[in-house]
Amino acid sequence: MAQTTVILSIVAIILILINSKKTGKQLEGLKLGMKQMLQTIPLILGAFILAGMIEVLIPREFVQSWLSKEAGLRGIVLGTLGGMLLAMGPYASFPIIASILASGAGLGTIVSIITAWCLLGLSKAPFETAFFGVKFFVFKLIFSMPFCFGAGLVVHVLEMVLL
Amino acid sequence: MKKSLMVISVSTAIFIIITYVVGGSSLVLKGFNNSINTAVQSALMLLASFIIIGQIQVLLSKEILNKWLQKFSGIRGIIISAFAGGLFPGGPYIYYPFILSFKEKELPFYILITFIFGKQVYDFSRIPMEVSLVDSNIALIRNLITIPIPIIVGLLAQRFFHNRTLENPFTEAGEKDGSNHCDS
Repeated sequence: MAQTTVILSIVAIILILINSKKTGKQLEGLKLGMKQMLQTIPLILGAFILAGMIEVLIPREFVQSWLSKEAGLRGIVLGTLGGMLLAMGPYASFPIIASILASGAGLGTIVSIITAWCLLGLSKAPFETAFFGVKFFVFKLIFSMPFCFGAGLVVHVLEMVLL
Repeated sequence: MKKSLMVISVSTAIFIIITYVVGGSSLVLKGFNNSINTAVQSALMLLASFIIIGQIQVLLSKEILNKWLQKFSGIRGIIISAFAGGLFPGGPYIYYPFILSFKEKELPFYILITFIFGKQVYDFSRIPMEVSLVDSNIALIRNLITIPIPIIVGLLAQRFFHNRTLENPFTEAGEKDGSNHCDS
């Protein structure tokens, strides 16, 4: 975790330097970032509490039989449906996904959850139907599903072979 | 954001009650303990993540991305469009109206669908969050595995919806599509 913090900090410093040279708007960027952080802190804290509860609530046996590496395809299918139902932004969804990972879910399941959340997340449905119509929404839903299964399946196979 | 906060607050309250019913106050405290640990461990990462998000938003303007989308076509257009989607800042209430603004420019449908998939799969400004809130290794694997998705989608859309634009993605020229809400 410390390593990740260092990497993110270095990236942040590099971007500030690039912005100061190219646009001169590095302070505006800092203000924007801080403003967004303050706006999302209540959401993140709420998600942390929710994730903590999920972590202690999900029985190990459930994760072992439904979401773990051993659950195989069942975990990937369940992960895709679960990711679709996570109708929240990244600040709320990611801590929940992390708690499922901490409970012992397989890598394939986690990847299918995140991919399904990215592509099929139901929170996007109102925008897609409002701007492009129901036909577009259904088309995108059907078109996206194989990619979520596929991504989870590839990682599951890699996990079985390599780990 | 308000809606998300409401959803998360209600869900959290429900889950605290369920946890209390299942394991009493000790299990609730254990849950809070987990939450506090995660919050403390993620604090610095979150700060760095938001600095990155702010800087990216300033660095890449809508005008730059607009230029990219109109300049390229074919496989190059697909790759540029997927990449531009990943760089585009903001949520669905920002990028869907942006895509809709191309309706009059008659940009091919495959370029626009690639942009949408690029935005949703890559979203580069989301990566710091994925790294800090989920796990750096998972974020790396997930991002590497899903890199081809917007490109494949773009190629399939180019193959099957070659002459379509956003105005008529599912209909042949001259045919009317009752369910297309682009005019709304």
